[in-house]
Order: sequence, then C-alpha cells, then structure tokens
Amino acid sequence: MSKHKRSAEDFAEEVRAHLELEADELRAEGLSADEAHRRAHVEFGSVRAAKERFYLRSRIQWLDSIMRDLRYGLRSLLHSPGFALTAILTLALGIGANTAVFSVMNAVLLRSLPVTDPTRLVYLRPSNAPRGTGTINSRETLSYSVYETLRDQHPGLSNAIAYVPLSGNKVAVRYGAQPEEAEGDMVSGTFFSGLGVKLPHGRGFTEQDETDHAPIAVISYNYWTRRFARNPDVLGTTLYVNGIGFTIVGISGEGFEGLESGSSTDFWIPLQIRPELNAWGNPLEDGKTYTANPTWWCMRMIGRLAPDVNKQQAAAALNPLFQRAAYIGLGSPAAGEKPPTLSLEEAKGFPGFSEEYGRPLRMLMAMVGFVLLIALTNVVMLLTARNAARQREFSMRLALGAGRRDLLRQLLAESLLLVATGGVLAWVFAKMATRALASWAQIESSLAPDRTVLAFALGILVVSALIFGLAPLRIALAAGPALSLKTSAATSNADAGRSRGARILVAFQMTLCVVLLVGAGLLIRTLRNLENTPLGLRVDGLVVFGVNPHVTSVSQGKAFYRDLISKLRELPGVESVTVMAWRIGSWSSNNSDMTVDGRLPDVPNGSSRTVRSNVAGPAFFTTLGVPVLAGRDFADSDTETSPHVGIINEQFAKRFFPNQNPLGHVIGSEYGQYQMTIVGVVKDHKYRSIDEEPIPMAWYEYAQIPIAGKMDVELRVHGDPLAILPSARKVVQQIDPNLPLIKPMTQRDQYNLTISSQTLFARLAGCFGILAVVLVATGLYGTLAYRVNRRTAEIGVRMAMGAGRGQVVWMILRDSLLLTVIGVIAGIPLAFAIGRALSSSLYGVQPLDALTYMLAIVGVTLVAFIASAAPASRAASVDPLKALRTE
Amino acid sequence: MPTQENNDDRIALLQGTLDILILKTLLLGPCHGQGVARSIQRQSEEVLFVDHGSLYLALQRLEDKKFIQAKWGVSENNRKARFYSLTAKGRAELLDKTSQWKRLTRAMGLILEPRNEES
Repeated sequence: MSKHKRSAEDFAEEVRAHLELEADELRAEGLSADEAHRRAHVEFGSVRAAKERFYLRSRIQWLDSIMRDLRYGLRSLLHSPGFALTAILTLALGIGANTAVFSVMNAVLLRSLPVTDPTRLVYLRPSNAPRGTGTINSRETLSYSVYETLRDQHPGLSNAIAYVPLSGNKVAVRYGAQPEEAEGDMVSGTFFSGLGVKLPHGRGFTEQDETDHAPIAVISYNYWTRRFARNPDVLGTTLYVNGIGFTIVGISGEGFEGLESGSSTDFWIPLQIRPELNAWGNPLEDGKTYTANPTWWCMRMIGRLAPDVNKQQAAAALNPLFQRAAYIGLGSPAAGEKPPTLSLEEAKGFPGFSEEYGRPLRMLMAMVGFVLLIALTNVVMLLTARNAARQREFSMRLALGAGRRDLLRQLLAESLLLVATGGVLAWVFAKMATRALASWAQIESSLAPDRTVLAFALGILVVSALIFGLAPLRIALAAGPALSLKTSAATSNADAGRSRGARILVAFQMTLCVVLLVGAGLLIRTLRNLENTPLGLRVDGLVVFGVNPHVTSVSQGKAFYRDLISKLRELPGVESVTVMAWRIGSWSSNNSDMTVDGRLPDVPNGSSRTVRSNVAGPAFFTTLGVPVLAGRDFADSDTETSPHVGIINEQFAKRFFPNQNPLGHVIGSEYGQYQMTIVGVVKDHKYRSIDEEPIPMAWYEYAQIPIAGKMDVELRVHGDPLAILPSARKVVQQIDPNLPLIKPMTQRDQYNLTISSQTLFARLAGCFGILAVVLVATGLYGTLAYRVNRRTAEIGVRMAMGAGRGQVVWMILRDSLLLTVIGVIAGIPLAFAIGRALSSSLYGVQPLDALTYMLAIVGVTLVAFIASAAPASRAASVDPLKALRTE
Repeated sequence: MPTQENNDDRIALLQGTLDILILKTLLLGPCHGQGVARSIQRQSEEVLFVDHGSLYLALQRLEDKKFIQAKWGVSENNRKARFYSLTAKGRAELLDKTSQWKRLTRAMGLILEPRNEES
C-alpha cells in the first residue's frame, strides 16, 4: 500500500535501537550492563520471529488473511451445521440438476461433432420428396441416386458424404464364435477423410473402397474399449456382419461416436450392395437393395461447405442438381407437384433430435432454471437470516477496529466455502443425474460433461458466490458499530423493512413453485393419459423379438419362418405365434397409396389416400388380441399358392368402402403388383405408437408376398412373457447357431418406448416439482422460524397483554398465507404462459387444465401450512414470563 | 499481568486495543517504539504487558494506514531511533475509537454490574 516499501534492514535497525534504548533504561534503573542487555532481549522476545513476521507481513499478508478468513468462515459454519448442511445441499441439488439438464441439452442441441472444423459441416435436408417415394424421415433422408449425383458433383461443398445404418436398431455380428448385436453404418468412401475424423490406429476408407464395396470395417473407440478391451491386435481380424466377413482396418479416435442420433455407432463399413446388407436391415423390395431402388429415400447426408461459401450459396448451387437427381428412375413430376428442395442445416447436436427433444428440453431447462432460482433465493434467505442474527457479532467486530473491507472479505470467504463445497457435490450429483437421464432418454452416446458444461456450472457457481457474499453484506454493514450497544431484543429488531426483502423472496419462491407444479402436473397428467390409452389389443402376455436369417432366396426365407413358427408353437407355455415385417409399437410403418378394386380410390378433396401396411403371419390378430369384426384372421391355410388374401381395419373400410361390405373386394399395392382379396376387417388399434390417431391400414399375408429377411416374431405366452426367451433363443439357434434375438422385449415395453420422451419429461418435471416444493418448504420454514425466534419478546408482550395462543398462531399463519396468496396470484399468469409453451408436448390435457391448477394451488398452500406449522406452534408455546425475563 | 495465551479471538481484541493505546500515547508527542511500550506499561500501572514483536507490527500497520508517520531521529540519550508521530487522520481515528471504546466499556459495565442501574 505504501508507495515505497520499508526495507527489512530498516526494520532490523529499529529493533536494534529498541534493544539499546531498553538496555539504557534498565541500566538507569540500576542493573548491570550485561543484565540490562539480557533483560532487554528477554522482554523483546524472539528478535528473529519479529523480523520474520515483518518480512512475511508484507509478502503474504493477503494470503495469510485469506487463510484466516477461510479458517474463521469454516469455524463459523461448523458452529451452525444445520445451516451449512441445508445451504450446501440446496446448492448441490439446484446446481447439479441444472448442470445435468444442461449437459443433455448441450449434447442433443448444441454440441458440435468431434471432427476437424465442425462449424463448416452441414446436414443436407430435403423437403417435398417426389410422389411415390418412401422416406425414413421426410425431412432427413435421400435416395441413393441423389447421393450418387451429389457425390460426383457438389458445387458449394468440398464433399458430400452419405451414411445409412445396417439396421433400425442393432445388427447381428459375430467375432469369434458367439453371435451378438452391434450398431453399424454403411458410409461413403470419404466418410472419415471428409469429416476429418482422427484414426489413431489403422486407416479409414477411400473412394476406391466405396467403388469396390470393400469388405473392410472401422470400429469405434467405444466398441474397441467395450468389446475388445483396447486390444490393438484386432486390426486385421474379421468381424462377421450378418454372416459376411469384414476385415477390421481401423479404430476411430476417442470421442467420435458416429452420426446416428443419440446412439453410439460401433462400426462402419463402406456402402455395400449385397442383399444381406440392405440399408436399415430391410427386406429387398422387388429384389432391389437401396442402391437400385429410387423410390426408397433412406440415406442421410452430410457435407462440408467449400471455403468462402455460406449455407445459402451452397444450397442455391446444389438445388438444380438435386431437383434433377430426385426424379432419376421416377419419371417426370406430376402436374401440381411441389418441386423438391434441398436445404443445409448446421451439423450441431443430434440430427433429428431437435424436433422431438428440442422444445421439451428447452422447457425443462427453463423449469430447472426456476428450481435454481428457488435454491439460490433460499440460500440467500438463509444467509440473510443467519447474518442478521449475527449483527451483534459484526457490530462488535466493527467496534473493535475491523474495517468494512474486512467484513466483506469475511462474508465472501464464507460464501466461497459454501459455494465450493456445494459445487463439488453438485458436480458429483450432476454426473450421476446425467447418466440416469441418458438411460431414461435412451441415449447411448456419451453425455459426459464437456468443457461447455463445466463452464456453465462454474459460471453459476461464481455468480452464486458473489450473490451470497454481497446480499447479506448490506445487513452486516447496516449493523454499524453502534448496534452492539443495544441490548434489547425488542429494539434491535424493530428495524422493519429488512424483513420486507425476505418476504418478497418468499412470495417470489411461491410464484416459481406454482409455475413448476403446474408444469409438472400437466406433463404428469399427459403421461397418465398416455399410459392409460387403450391400445386396442391385449398387450399383456406378448413378447417380441427380431430375427434376421441368412437366406439367399424368398422361398428359403419362407421356409425358415414356417419352420420357426411351428417349432415355437410347440414350446410349453406358448399360446400362439406369429410374425410381422414391421414391429408394432416401434414408430416404423410402411405408408403408401393403395388401389381399391383395380384403381386408386377417389377421396374427398384434401383428405389423404395414405394407407399404412404391414406384412403379417398366421393368427396375427388372434395373437395380438385385436378383435376381428368381420370375416377371419390369417391362417396356416393361406399359402403362396392359395388365393391371396388381405385384412383391413375399420378406418380403411370406412374411408374406401363407405356403406359397403368390404369383404370380397380386391385391394392392391400402389402400382398394382400385389393384389389381394379382403377376407377380414379388424378393430382399429394403436399400431406405431401410443399417441397416434388411427389411419386406414391393410395387412398382407407374409407367405404371399415376395419378401424375406428380417422379421419380428410375436409370441403370446402364459405367465411372465420374458421367461420364454431362453427357450425361444434355443429354438432359433437350433435352426442357425449364428442368429441372435434382436431387441427382445415385452410388447408392452415396446409400446412404452414410443412415449419414452414423454415419460422422461414427466418424470423430470415431477422431480423438479418435488424439489421445488422441498426447497420452498425449507426456505419458508427457515425464514419463519427465524422470525418467530426474533419476535419472541414481542410475542411474550402480546401474550402478557392477553393475546390467546390461537391469535398468536394465526398471526404467524396469516403472514405465510398472505405470501402464498401473493405468490399464487403472480404465479398463475406465468403458469399460463408455461402451459401454452408446453401445449405441443401435452396429450389429452388442456394447457389451462383446471384440475392441475387447483392441485398446484392446493399443493403450494399445503406446503405453506406445513412449513409454518412448527414455527407457529413454537410461537404459541412462548412463555410470556420467560420471554420477558430474557430482556 | 502478562497474558500470553494465544487465542485467536483474543489477538483480535488485543490488536484493536493496542492500536488505540499507541495512538493515545503518540497524542502526547512523537515517540519511538521502545518509549511507546514503556509508556503504555507505566500508564496502565504495569497491568498491560506489551508484546514488543506485536508492537512493531502494530506500528507498521498504523503507518501503512497513514494514521501515524515515522522518521529517524536521535533520542534524549543520543541513541539513533525511529520516531513516530500522529497524523491528522490518526487523530480523528483516535477520537472515533475512543468514543466507541467508552460506549463499549459502559455497555459492558452495565451488563457486568447490572444492579447499579435498571434500564
């Protein structure tokens, strides 16, 4: 502080002078020279220690005082362990929950791919795919011919890369003897080089590999770790995919998990053309794989913007090419058809997830932000209450010469301790919560917090440390040295206004609590509605699994399934068995137009002609428990050679056969290749997912359609459905030891997967609601308890003057009820806004659902009552004599 | 009555009081460290013991805060010594601290000997 620092020599000189002066004086008092010298030294104490202290004082004074502040803070926190524990836990929960939700949001919506220069990567997004095409996702997937065109010519892009999974979920692989499942993608030759994925071991693919459809594979770092224990010798060995051998040539760098949304790709192979390796594991359509089928838009594409080109410019350059390529093999566009267009979207987060998860995730982030606000205000209130109770202490310290800066430092040190401990706990909690979130959300890719998340958490921590340090300072300073002289509890608490701040905070918390409870209530009621939605089939007792036999012809495939069905039927406990091409309750469906009696049916203006179809085995509806309203179910007697038969649902009958008996009519595929006579009408039921509305449906008989390959097997069993799986697996492997059961699960679980995001959001919102309630309750309880404590004298006086206990209780309750009413009144309009924002995520419940609002209000009121009960009863039990005697 | 139990709370008290005592001593005129120590001990009738190491740190602290200033000089018995004197700021501080202290001791007195007065 002083401009020129005093030197140590100068100080030593002063000490020497002191000793001499002291000795002189002692001599004057009659001591001998030696004795005087000795006494002077003794009285001074250690000269060296003094010098050291002088030296250290200037150097590490600040460090020393910080250490002292921290020690003091720690001790003062240990003095009130209840307060410290509450504050730290509150912080840990509030910040931890926020960090967890943020890290999911970061991964799903914000994070860039772990590749070179990720900001230049763009997803190619089509719209208005030509008529007659089928897509996996109409906003994401493209045909092979489009890819081929853009691969060879890509103005505005440095490269255009395609990737397509080998299966909708997992594909059968074998390494060594044991069949297992893994997630694999077929990719362009430029996949690794174009994205700039690092391959620390081995090599990636080349364009030549794509041209040759080379039998080579790159495995992911995660798969290498999980399956191969990071053994470098896997390079050069063979991985069998659907029975076809691929030589492992490379291992991708750590952190790269592929481009499939929310999952972690295990291996990549160059684009293939073999029927066993069709895209998405689909059966061949008219004997054509995805490369030869221009109507199947099944590939996703990503590209890298050329230098100095922006998204719009690149899209403008690509569109003419795209529009021509879109119609390759499809003829010319029909009159009035909207031209297909291609747009480019920055490759951030999980592609496609932003639609399903983006909005709800942002809502959740807002809700958890409210929880954080409640948590922070709680701690502020606790600190304020505590520090107000410490005013004497502050005042005494000011009186004894502590500066205001010392007090500030002290308070900051205490808040630093709280925040640091809370922060460490929060991080641990966030890591656990993130893992739980990932498994709830069925996200297999790693959500491990990255640097962005860390920065987010640290940001919150720093802000809270400052708030906590500064908020109570006003009160501490307001104390002033004079306060220590006031001794009467009554007078020292008469300073009104201070409690106004706390009351505003409590009302504010009530507001947030109402909003959170309404949000949680709406989402939970949505989940209830979904769970209680009748599926239209007897779902209990059903178990489903996929098999993908290695067959080379349709007849071989039919024989496989005939054999499998009859063997499974013989298993004890199995009631009935059937197969289907698209697993029900798995979101997937095959949509197209269908002919009715030889032509595309007329539909009233604007309504859709789309029919959803599936291919089903014998006793399909009997097995599922879907009532057959007219005609019959498929049977074993329906074979390749018998008359071709089909079954429709009520919707189909209503839309295309109004006021007619549909039985006996002939329906067929869009271009009329497959014709079948309607032999049954079944009741509408949930087909793809729980929250869908029924649309017209038709079922082909599996033996009469030239498809073979992967199918799903449905079993109705007595007792626990999953208990049949080991014996079912044995049956499958008797036929082919290489075949794993693909995604075996109960049919109920399969349906529940379609509401997994709603389940996740409802559960999370519920957790936040409970968290908010608990926090608000502790906050209110703490504030009231403290206020009652401070008003003991006043209450004593009132009671001495004749106030009844009931009146005292009412005085306390009235206070918190008033705050609740204010909070609720402020909260309801805010809850309206949240409800409206949530409306797209709601099912069967209105954003202004009265019951939910009632419950939220009742909940908040109840919380207020419960939290006030203990302080009120304490107030009522004040003994007026005792209270006054403490004065 | 030398009290040398090193309790942190008491150091805080000691620091605060020592500062006032130093300022008060210097009010009488410039003095060197040894003189200040002697003077405090004598004036308190040897009740207060001044730890010399702490004294010099306190002097340094007061100097840093510009409450006192120092320069080298010569003592009555011709010894070279560092003389401290009160600044205007130090004078104000002394007044302030003294009145605080008086009120504190009065308050303490009220508590410790309550039967003298009924509030």
